[in-house]
Amino acid sequence: MILILSLVIAVIFGSGAFLILQRDLFRVVVGIVLISNAANLFIISAGLTRGEPPIYPLPEGAPVADPLVQAMALTAIVISSSVAALLLSLVYRLYVAHDSVDIEDVSAAEAREAEALERGENPEREEEPRESPADVELREDTR
Amino acid sequence: MPLVVALLSAPAAAAFGMLRPAGAAPVGAAFCALAFGATLWGFASGGGAVDVAWAPSWDLRLHLELDGLAALYALLATGVGFAVLVYSSRYLPLHLEHQDRPLSDGTSFYFFVLLFMGSMVGLAMAQDLILVFVFWDLTAIASYYLIGFDSHDPDSRASALMALLVTGVTAVLLLIGAVMLYAAHGTFSIPELAGRVEPGPLLTTAGLLIAVAGLAKSAQVPFHFWLPRAMAAPTPVSAYLHSAAMVAAGVLLLGRLYPLLQKSDVLLDVLLVVGSLSMAVGGVLALTRDVLKQLLAYSTVSQYGYVVVMYGLGGEYGAVGASFYVLVHALCKSALFLSAGTVTEATGSDRLSGLGGLYRSMPLLAVGSGVAAAGLAALPLTAGFFKDELFFAAALERGPVFAGLAVFGAALTFAYTWRFWGGIFLGTSDAEADRTSGVLVLPVVALGGLTLLGGIFVGPYLGLALAAGSDSLRAPADVVAAYHLDARPENLMALATYGLGVAIVLSRPLWSGAAGALSRLGERAGPERLYGMGLRGLNGLSDRAHRAEARDLRSRVAAILLPGGILAGAGILVTPTGGTYRVGTVEAGDIPLLLALVPVAVAALTTTFTKRHVTLALVLSSAGFVLALVYAFFGAPDVALVAVLVETVLTLLFLGTLRLIPYEVLHRQAGLPTEKRPRKVFFAAVAGASTFAVVWATLSRPAPERSVAEEHLKRTPEAHAGDAVTAILADFRGLDTLGEISVVALVLLAVLTLLRGGRLR
Repeated sequence: MILILSLVIAVIFGSGAFLILQRDLFRVVVGIVLISNAANLFIISAGLTRGEPPIYPLPEGAPVADPLVQAMALTAIVISSSVAALLLSLVYRLYVAHDSVDIEDVSAAEAREAEALERGENPEREEEPRESPADVELREDTR
Repeated sequence: MPLVVALLSAPAAAAFGMLRPAGAAPVGAAFCALAFGATLWGFASGGGAVDVAWAPSWDLRLHLELDGLAALYALLATGVGFAVLVYSSRYLPLHLEHQDRPLSDGTSFYFFVLLFMGSMVGLAMAQDLILVFVFWDLTAIASYYLIGFDSHDPDSRASALMALLVTGVTAVLLLIGAVMLYAAHGTFSIPELAGRVEPGPLLTTAGLLIAVAGLAKSAQVPFHFWLPRAMAAPTPVSAYLHSAAMVAAGVLLLGRLYPLLQKSDVLLDVLLVVGSLSMAVGGVLALTRDVLKQLLAYSTVSQYGYVVVMYGLGGEYGAVGASFYVLVHALCKSALFLSAGTVTEATGSDRLSGLGGLYRSMPLLAVGSGVAAAGLAALPLTAGFFKDELFFAAALERGPVFAGLAVFGAALTFAYTWRFWGGIFLGTSDAEADRTSGVLVLPVVALGGLTLLGGIFVGPYLGLALAAGSDSLRAPADVVAAYHLDARPENLMALATYGLGVAIVLSRPLWSGAAGALSRLGERAGPERLYGMGLRGLNGLSDRAHRAEARDLRSRVAAILLPGGILAGAGILVTPTGGTYRVGTVEAGDIPLLLALVPVAVAALTTTFTKRHVTLALVLSSAGFVLALVYAFFGAPDVALVAVLVETVLTLLFLGTLRLIPYEVLHRQAGLPTEKRPRKVFFAAVAGASTFAVVWATLSRPAPERSVAEEHLKRTPEAHAGDAVTAILADFRGLDTLGEISVVALVLLAVLTLLRGGRLR
């Protein structure tokens, strides 16, 4: 059981690690969610006892599941979901600013901005969102 | 008490300066005079000491004592500080006027000069190495702002940075040396250390580190380059920096730690070599400079070289002579700097080649600075004569070679001092001098007068130096300085010095080419170039590291995952874990759990090759829901319920975000070729493997006998709860939950801000 649990946790973590190395920011968020899932599962499986739920009236004689790890996992789940929400809105924001969810595009725009700063120009003016007509049409359609 | 006054003076002057810019100078000068008086009174009434435990667990004590050495430097800092402040009350408004800056800029000047003075007094009195370090850095900070006072000038800023870096980096060596001594002897207190240290490699190393800090502060070769650059400061600052603060702090440290340093012959030899080199290099370069303040700066390098040599020579004459030398040098050098400032202010020229014949238009200044110059050149009837007498005596004790060296050094001093004074005031030139305010002349005359007074009544000066010298030696010193009209060796050496000095002055055409070549060589291949290269190299390195780290998110992530995985793996490899890994048993009751785990793993793997984003989000949420099932099988219904709730919200969030971003943009992503796939798989595999090792090792640990959970379970009814998890969250670990709630609230605020802003303007 121990070995199987470890393997499953490792597979979830490894998949998450692979995803956050992608250039698609959406996949990066998915990867982070997966990694937090792995961590939560790890916390729960690190419980010292397994058994019945720790709710009164406690069963006589039967083992009771460790309540401490459950409380910790609860906290962790809520926090990781908030982090995921924040990341998703950041991705959306980046799309609004750069018209792309590709990290390469964002990096390139950042580099351009830094160069413009070094040349002493005002980067704010250059970074007006450029929207192609096709995008506008598409959005009209989907509405 | 003097320290309190001195430290109070800076904020007081700043406060007055904020009310009325013109008020800062008089208030500062008044405080200066008060601190001077307090020091004098305190020393005359037998000194005084404060010794308070500061951080007893670390053996740190606030140990201040007004002993002879402290009195000497504190009197110099406050006395010369007074003269400088009086001088700047007239000079600074002119200086600001030249640069079209408001008068209120001067307030910060007075603040930092007085802070400088306060930290110098504190440094003089500190008897604890950590306290020394604190005051030491305070002087460096004050000097940074003073040298960079003309902050609009890039050259001035570069000079300030150089002074800060050279003295600040070497100050770290002082701290390292102090900690080494503490580790070996268990105390930071200098008097206690003096009784405990034994000669040996430890003392040599620690002493060397501390001595390097002192030598860098005193601008000795090879750290001398920052001092001439520091001339970018306004003239009163230069005068103060050179005579009574900053540069003097270096030799003060040597004098304070002399009881330790003198136990190691290696250290004394190092001091001798460095001091002689500085004497020669500074003297020769001073002969080549045309800019007045540059000439004086190199002369300071050379003069402190004397002091270092005297400490290196050791003995009564060495220790007392060094203190006496610092005292006389401070008087003469500040007078010469101030007269350079006055001359430049009156004529507009700061170069020797544009000056000359000024004794006609400025007779009083000529006399005042003439006396000071005579003091520096060690002519009889000035206090300077005795400084060289003691120097010669100390050199004679060691042997004829050192005596010859001493004569040569003193002759160089004679030559460049003559060049400075004679170049300004003698000869003919068409330099026109405007009328100058008396305030710009009087301090020079007063300092010159003090030099002359010391030549006639040497008693008080020598008394101070004797007290300081015996503190350095930790033994009563008895040295007599008087005029002897006989052919004793010291007198003959003085005569030889004058002769050689005149010869150097007269034979200028013979050696000026060689000296110029030396100066150019120093610029080409000197330590200043090394400093510049080091600075540029560090800057480039930081730029490259920044570029590599901050430009690309993925390489940053990989840079965490790979070393993290390798380190965790290595940690597990070196930890003896033989036999602790357990495979565990699968019981009948575990079958549902097992069946739930498999789809989670499959779903996680599926996410890695799903192309379409909607599918990806659905696969992710299916993994989350199955995970909730796993929690339920673990006997955690609370977690399972929350997981279902959270997973529902998260799925909606993902789908909602996908709805907000046009299909086209996402499709472009989905269709991208997955480049560098093997590398990413490798990184992910390393991360996964190390996770596996860590998790397996953790889960294999046998459970301890007693767990805090038992107590939680037992006390749940007392918390009026039926569910132990609820009781833990709301009661036993309520603070954690409070933190969690604040995180959620913050995230809500952030998401709201991010979404509501719409398009970036």
